[in-house]
Amino acid sequence: MNELQSIVFGVLTGSFFALIALGISLAWGFLKVINLSHFGLVLIGSYLTFQLATSTGMNPIATVAVTAPAMFALGALIQWGFERFEVSELNSLLISYGILIIMIQVVQNTWSADFQRMDPGVNPYFVQSIAIGQLRFPVPTLLAAGFAIALVLLAHYVLEKTYAGRALQAFGQDRQISSAFGIDHRLLGVLLAGATGASGAIAGMLHALGQTLSPDAPFEWVGRVFAIVILGGIGNVTGTLYAGLLVGAVAGAVTFIWSASVAPLVVFSLVVLALIFRPQGLFLRKAEH
Amino acid sequence: MRDRGWVVLAVGAAALLALPFLRDQLGFPVFYLVFVSGALFWAAQATSWNILSGYSGYFSFGQGAFFGVGVYSLAFFFARRGLEWWVGVLLGGLLSMLLGLILGTIAFRLRKLRGEIFALLTLAIPFILVAVVRLSRTIDGGQGVGIPVPSYPDFLRPFQHFYFVLSVLVALLALSLAYAMRGTRYGWALFAIHDDEEVAEGLGVPTFRHKMIAIAVTGFLGGLSGAVFALNLGHVSPEGTFNLRVPLFVIVMSALGGRRHWAGPMVGAVYIHTLQNRLAAAGFEGWSLIILGAVLIALVLFAPDGLMSRFTRRPWTVTGVLAGVVIAMGLVDVGQPVDRLAVAMLVAAVTAFLPGGKKRRARVGETATTLGGVVPGPDGEGMPLPEVGRPLVTVSEVAKSFGGVDALAGVSVTVSEGELVGLVGPNGSGKTTLVNLLSGALPPTSGSITVDGVDIVGMTPHKITHLGLARTYQIPRPFLTLTVSDNVAIAIMFGRDPKGLGASRDAADAFLAMVGLDELAHAYPSEINLHERQLLEMARAMATGPRVLLLDEALAGLNPVEIDNAIAVVSRIHRSGVAIVLVEHLLRVVNQLSTRMIVLNQGLLLAEGEPAKVLSDPDVVTTYLGKRPNA
Amino acid sequence: MSKRVRTLSILVVVALWAAACGDTAETTTTQAGTTTTQAGTTTTGASPTTAPEPSGDPIVVGGTLALTGAVGATGNIHRIAGQLYVERLNAAGGLLGRPVVFEPLDDESDPTRVGDLYEQLISQDRVDLIMGPYATPWILQAQPVAERHGFVLPQHTSVLAPAMSYQCQFPAWSIGPEPNVFTPNQLADALDSLGDVATVALVTNSSGSTAFVSHGVPDVAGSRGALHVFPERGYQVVADETYPPGNTEWGPIAVAIRNADPDFVMVNGLGIEANGLIDAMSQLDYSPRMIFALFPAPGAVLAMGEAAEGLLSVSMFEPNEPILAGLSDEVREIVAEFEARAAAAGLPYTTFETQAAASWNAWDILTQGVAGAGSLDHEAICDYLLENGADLTFAGHVSFPRENNNFWPTNQVLKQVQDGNWVVVWPADRAAAPLRGSSG
Repeated sequence: MNELQSIVFGVLTGSFFALIALGISLAWGFLKVINLSHFGLVLIGSYLTFQLATSTGMNPIATVAVTAPAMFALGALIQWGFERFEVSELNSLLISYGILIIMIQVVQNTWSADFQRMDPGVNPYFVQSIAIGQLRFPVPTLLAAGFAIALVLLAHYVLEKTYAGRALQAFGQDRQISSAFGIDHRLLGVLLAGATGASGAIAGMLHALGQTLSPDAPFEWVGRVFAIVILGGIGNVTGTLYAGLLVGAVAGAVTFIWSASVAPLVVFSLVVLALIFRPQGLFLRKAEH
Repeated sequence: MRDRGWVVLAVGAAALLALPFLRDQLGFPVFYLVFVSGALFWAAQATSWNILSGYSGYFSFGQGAFFGVGVYSLAFFFARRGLEWWVGVLLGGLLSMLLGLILGTIAFRLRKLRGEIFALLTLAIPFILVAVVRLSRTIDGGQGVGIPVPSYPDFLRPFQHFYFVLSVLVALLALSLAYAMRGTRYGWALFAIHDDEEVAEGLGVPTFRHKMIAIAVTGFLGGLSGAVFALNLGHVSPEGTFNLRVPLFVIVMSALGGRRHWAGPMVGAVYIHTLQNRLAAAGFEGWSLIILGAVLIALVLFAPDGLMSRFTRRPWTVTGVLAGVVIAMGLVDVGQPVDRLAVAMLVAAVTAFLPGGKKRRARVGETATTLGGVVPGPDGEGMPLPEVGRPLVTVSEVAKSFGGVDALAGVSVTVSEGELVGLVGPNGSGKTTLVNLLSGALPPTSGSITVDGVDIVGMTPHKITHLGLARTYQIPRPFLTLTVSDNVAIAIMFGRDPKGLGASRDAADAFLAMVGLDELAHAYPSEINLHERQLLEMARAMATGPRVLLLDEALAGLNPVEIDNAIAVVSRIHRSGVAIVLVEHLLRVVNQLSTRMIVLNQGLLLAEGEPAKVLSDPDVVTTYLGKRPNA
Repeated sequence: MSKRVRTLSILVVVALWAAACGDTAETTTTQAGTTTTQAGTTTTGASPTTAPEPSGDPIVVGGTLALTGAVGATGNIHRIAGQLYVERLNAAGGLLGRPVVFEPLDDESDPTRVGDLYEQLISQDRVDLIMGPYATPWILQAQPVAERHGFVLPQHTSVLAPAMSYQCQFPAWSIGPEPNVFTPNQLADALDSLGDVATVALVTNSSGSTAFVSHGVPDVAGSRGALHVFPERGYQVVADETYPPGNTEWGPIAVAIRNADPDFVMVNGLGIEANGLIDAMSQLDYSPRMIFALFPAPGAVLAMGEAAEGLLSVSMFEPNEPILAGLSDEVREIVAEFEARAAAAGLPYTTFETQAAASWNAWDILTQGVAGAGSLDHEAICDYLLENGADLTFAGHVSFPRENNNFWPTNQVLKQVQDGNWVVVWPADRAAAPLRGSSG
């Protein structure tokens, strides 16, 4: 039972990271951009949620109504910049790193380097959990799982069933040819980046809901998120979700059975094995060809 | 020209090494040695990264792994086990090299997605290493390891001098290796791999071996430099060693400085190190990272190929500006010397962006579209048709299926010396698949293929090339970052009769003349048109010294005048003693050139024999030509 | 495009230039602000009460602090404390009659930059004195540089006595020569007094001082930590969980703790790690009877509200009324002034407590060493301090025994969150309020 509870914890936390990974994976797969600034968007989203909820007494979950459009705009702007300057994949990594450190510094200048946390009165969700049988499901990460599943389903639907989505897939596979078909890849790219930005805002809200904030958080996320991106398959939306849940489950189980220091060893060894034996990601893409 | 670089390195190193001993006379504080030591460390790490990732294009996100192995080798062997410090340093380099070789063996062999796999693998490795270091009480256990002061000769006292000298030596080694590679075949193999690995392999470059050499060098230098760095830290810890700093910064520095140039990473390292140092020293509290991020973004946006490519266009101007600003600020006594350097560097960077400067001559526009001048050299018609001799390539019952689709369902053909075999068939008949099987790009599902009596199934493509079989690509795939001449030179360097860099470049002219491209020798592929690129494909393939040449739709997309020219070139090649397999759609071309024709349809051999006979075969006419024969 | 580049680059160049020239001349807001006039204060350093204006060339104290990055929160506390100290010092006549200047550089929470920066401060900028950086790994990087140049190194936060071997390093926060043995024993004393604690769980951040306190030093035989001390004192250790620094997964560890159901949980962690663990346990609807955190972020813990009630930690000073009452008025001023500064700097937690007190102690050591030696000669300062010790505002008189790497007998106390505030609760004779046991 304890093992199962640990796995539950792990899976739910994993879905939070899967949500962040979704943004990275979509940008990498379809826009050919390794966008580290996505972590910055999540960070800013989390602090905005904190600030809005604390200053106005708004329900923290409701803050996404403000932060999501804001991060949509920011994400779209950054992508517009990449397109405008025709940035290569490597250079997108460097530039987005520059943007990330600027974002972290701005967050720190605004909210100080010290830890910030919403008061229990403002954020009652911190320590809430739902009991199902003998198992407990913490509310913040349960919400993360809910949002992650919803967003993944939405992304999957858009990519597979809508014209815009399939145009994006084409663009992801072969830029030049797709533009020959009259697909305005610039606009699509900007919209996609905006959408991932909004997903970042949601991830940020969830982070603020369950954790104490510090400007340095992005650097703790990078490893886990990229592990999920790799295992899920770059650009594979449902795969990313499964990978997040898998990594979370493994980490939770290993932590309980051995120790938290062993968990990263197991997770990343898994990543290495996956790269050797199944480089396209562990999970089959629903799409064909 | 070669020697100039060695002179610069030697003089630079000598000047730096003399500095500690002249410190009293020159009267500068020991801090400058420490500052330069830091820059040299980063120069070594960035150069190390660049040898694999910059030169060959295999991006590594795991420079921290090599660095960390070096650091912990010193910590373990020197601090914990009490061996000599230089043993620890050497072991750092060697163990790191071993790690690189292991990674290469895993990642470089896989056929699909080679580059991306490697990048992701290198991302994961440091996380594994840090977990191991933290868990193992023998190596670290989590609390970190104190590094005692090593014992070193008295004439190098104080410690900062000793460390400075070590830093110079390690950086010198790194730069020398990078420079040497660039001037020899090893470096150029990497450049070819960078541009198009599959094509390089097909031209005879043993890609796996060269990538392993590159990663071994990268690993060795990264570990060596890391171990020396650890000597200077009083204390090392897992989280302080295996974090994102080293992996990210070496990429930033190399990209900033320029990944093609051997000194690019060093320039980038000096820039970033100085900038960071000055930002911290200036106390820009709350702004340092913003400025650093902004400068990084600006430099990457406006110099996407790196600073060195700009500096080399006007080297004297840049040097002059640098020296001038430093001296001017010194005369006015503004800021500290390192401040002056920082400002001078930024001003120099700005001057590099100004328009003008020495432009590379491409010699384009002279003969590009005037085909009258594209055919120098002897006209093919004067030479006799070669005799048909023994079989060079034998294909026996070869089949290839992809999933459920049979691209080839059992085909047997022979190509003999002196032949020019036209291979035709409708789309999807299996022509290109056959070419891919012959060149070794794909393995057959069943059947056998021999070249000059040697079974080539399962052989790596570069070995097949060395047996004497070369190919061109339907859509030309030149090495985009190399000139036309160098494209051919690569093939000579690694062909059946390999030569060194200089000799290959000289020999390239003959092949360019054969196809009529000698006027465009110094142009880049992006500057020449489709026909010229196809001719380049042929010249390049010929430069490997083949006995059989596979031309895969080499005339696709040409206008009639260009076609005539191409026909002349192919004929000339044939008469020079090379057997040719010509995959073509244009029947008049096949008719004009080939000594024998083979028709494929739906993966099977439909007809074979003299062109006139085959073309009038009713089966061929129906399936391939429709009801009316082509005029 | 090149025009834009030119403009941007020139702006950056000008900005850098201006800053490079400007940094020695500019005054910070704290120094430009009004100085509080203090009537009848006795300053540390034994100057007369009505202080003459300090005059002459300023004495420059150089140092780095983590002002940004992972440990920036606490680094900023030390900056504010240091600058306040220097201000008061100057108002009371300065040091050796000269004004003192302190502008710490930002090491951006990166220990590998500390060495270079101290090297620069000492050999290029030619500072007169240095003050140590924040946190043990950083201090360990500064130590060899100080030693090479023979500079006295007062440091406020490294308690890792075995590693602090430099003769002229002076700790401002001491847990004695064996913090790994002392702290668990002190806790055991406190638990003994409650009488209803039998089982203990250990949760450890496997790095640096936290691992040291839990497990001792791995490659030294016979080295003990909490894991060994508690059984010696008759407590049973029912869980021993470790996690790597930067861990954010507390669920499974919480499950393990709940499973072991200990009477007392000792979380040897930093920052918000204990927060995470408590949150995770709350989500399991489990709260341990008693819980201790070694180096928590004090403000973040209080912000947890009800969930943090009863949490124990270590301290050297808390501004509890009964404690303040036993100290001079000057201390109250310092406490109040600091809180105002911290609030102005936008820090969420402004209380003057153990970190700031440690900083104050470090400055006391430095200034008394200089004043006692009567000069800026580091050898003289070092000799003076080794011979005479120092009078610390927040620790009384201390001496620096060489056999303990200069670590003086500790004045560590235990503090507890009571009614939303940190209160000193142990030992009883120095407590501001009694230790509260488990809430049942």
